[in-house]
Amino acid sequence: MIPASFDYIAPQTLDEAVGALAAHGGEAKLLAGGHSLLPLLKLRFVSPKLLIDLSKIPGLSGINERDDKIVIGALTTHYQIESSELLKERCDLLCQTARVIGDVQVRNRGTIGGSLTHADPSADWPAAILALAGELKLSGPKGDRWLAAEQFFLGPMTTAIEPTEILTEIRLPVSSRRYGSAYLKMAQQASGFAVVGVAVWLRLGQSSRCEDIGVGVTGLGVKPFRARTVESRLRGNKLTPKLVEESAAQVTQGSDPLEDLHASAKFRAHLAQVYTSRTLQEAVKRAASRR
Amino acid sequence: VKVRQKNFPKPTEFPFKTATGVAYDSGNYQLALNKALKLAGYEKLRRDQKRLRSQGRYLGIGLSTYVEICAMGPKGMWEYGKVEVEPSGKVTVLSGASPHGQGQETSFAQIVADELGVELDAITVVHGDTAAVPKGIGTFGSRATAVGGIAVYQAAGKVKEKARELASHLLEVDADDLNFSEGRFNVKGVPKKGLTIQQIAQQVHTTKNLPKEMDPRLSAESTFEPSNFTFPFGTHICVVEVEPQTGTVEIEKYVAVDDCGKVINPLLVDGQIQGGIVQGLGQALFEEVIYDENGQLLTGSLMDYALPRAADLPRLNLTRTETPTPVNPLGIKGIGEAGTIGSTPAVVNAVVDALAPFGVTHIDMPLTPQKIWSLSEGKKAAGSGARR
Repeated sequence: MIPASFDYIAPQTLDEAVGALAAHGGEAKLLAGGHSLLPLLKLRFVSPKLLIDLSKIPGLSGINERDDKIVIGALTTHYQIESSELLKERCDLLCQTARVIGDVQVRNRGTIGGSLTHADPSADWPAAILALAGELKLSGPKGDRWLAAEQFFLGPMTTAIEPTEILTEIRLPVSSRRYGSAYLKMAQQASGFAVVGVAVWLRLGQSSRCEDIGVGVTGLGVKPFRARTVESRLRGNKLTPKLVEESAAQVTQGSDPLEDLHASAKFRAHLAQVYTSRTLQEAVKRAASRR
Repeated sequence: VKVRQKNFPKPTEFPFKTATGVAYDSGNYQLALNKALKLAGYEKLRRDQKRLRSQGRYLGIGLSTYVEICAMGPKGMWEYGKVEVEPSGKVTVLSGASPHGQGQETSFAQIVADELGVELDAITVVHGDTAAVPKGIGTFGSRATAVGGIAVYQAAGKVKEKARELASHLLEVDADDLNFSEGRFNVKGVPKKGLTIQQIAQQVHTTKNLPKEMDPRLSAESTFEPSNFTFPFGTHICVVEVEPQTGTVEIEKYVAVDDCGKVINPLLVDGQIQGGIVQGLGQALFEEVIYDENGQLLTGSLMDYALPRAADLPRLNLTRTETPTPVNPLGIKGIGEAGTIGSTPAVVNAVVDALAPFGVTHIDMPLTPQKIWSLSEGKKAAGSGARR
């Protein structure tokens, strides 16, 4: 299908883009990789008056390490993340997640920032960013502010970003080298989106005691979330298979599982438990092999 | 396997008249089954299955033997073909069987190249254009080669006979004194004296002393209407591992033995089989059109309507037996739909077989993860300590 007509600008600076966004309020949409936005435009689920293309603004793309934090520009493509040597060494969870997003074409064009702000409840990135306790830099007319990922996702296709703000950076703490991580998902056969996806990052101390852990879950409910109940049962404890299994079963606690064409609420809840358990086991295995 | 073996008609029983009055043209079903069992390593697979079940893993072996009805067919379902050797030596073939990707541009050219002894590159197959092809019925029911190919073959045969007459005039010998081999009419006993069909087409075009009753155009058309359908057959074996906990199906192995009679182009036949198997597998595992209670289509795009992808498949292990049909002069039976016919039941049978320890004997297609999971959920597998 053909989108409704719209105007298009490609500002050269972030200030210009912020200005244009402020001037057009809710009538404008930001264009990054376009892999979420264009299908919506074509189906006319959205009909913005103006598209603001961010691709000409320098500095919005790239992966760097600063003060034990990984900083990723919002316009960095999934493939750039998948193939980053720095991330493979310092934050492999991001590479693992990028690897299972869409297909090669999507990974070459789609961006991490675009996906996060789109906030599809079945998207892969939110699980990893939540597990890693990521922070998001939002740039608006009043300057920049940082928001924890946990505060960012509010509901399906809904985030805490203001209509006049642009997500410009994602920051992830990576102080430890003794970590293990994994992202596993049950992919929906047609789209590849996560029916359920679970990301785990954990740090093991002496005698396999879990010093720190983050568990991010996508696909299960209307918004991705951090499985705090699971985390708190595991943190400080020795990660025996029995404890992992029992804790994983609690991933559904307090959640209201989605029901759609591809999985009933009951099946989704069950899958969340299975995948949480498997992802935890995989992360433990990888942490052990890093020591 | 035993039920099939007991009920197969023997090769000597063909043409095999069925209870419905249809006569199967030719077949050797046992041979195809045996070949497939051997190729798949059936006995070992059953041993593996037993061993894995005791570990809580669920291997399934699915078998399907099929007989297909092809080459539509007798009673008015003819097909049209025309072959013309132009003075330039180029050969144009017209066919009313209009392929849409099956590759008959190549296989029809092969039939004509073999019959006339002309290089494949000199032949152009024209189809699908009513401005060029005067009539035809079309491609369906796996008939394009087995019916349309025969029409082209017959037209080429007529062209060859015409060429013999013209050669006899040009070489000034009796037509009966000409041998045809490797694309050339040779004068018996004078091997150096002869003309290729293309040379004949060229010389007739410029010769001045052609008798009036002799038509200089090396062109002929033909229609072919078979006396019976053809009945290709085969055995497909699919091996899957099912994970009851998530309902996912992994295809571990796929073996297909198909018999479509004489094969013109093995690569094209394999292509048809491969595409068919994957399509049938899609039907078995993924494809479903779903509407909601208001009649709204929910599977309206490929984001929701699932199809198999290359990554979902193992290498398909394909082979053939060859039992020519007596129904047409080339012995061709047709292969267009065989893959889908063999694969859908083979895949479903494999999954049902994998879930046999849970008492599963039937699952409606498509075999989605949720369906598979719900069938084994809460049940204890027979012969395994694992509870799901």
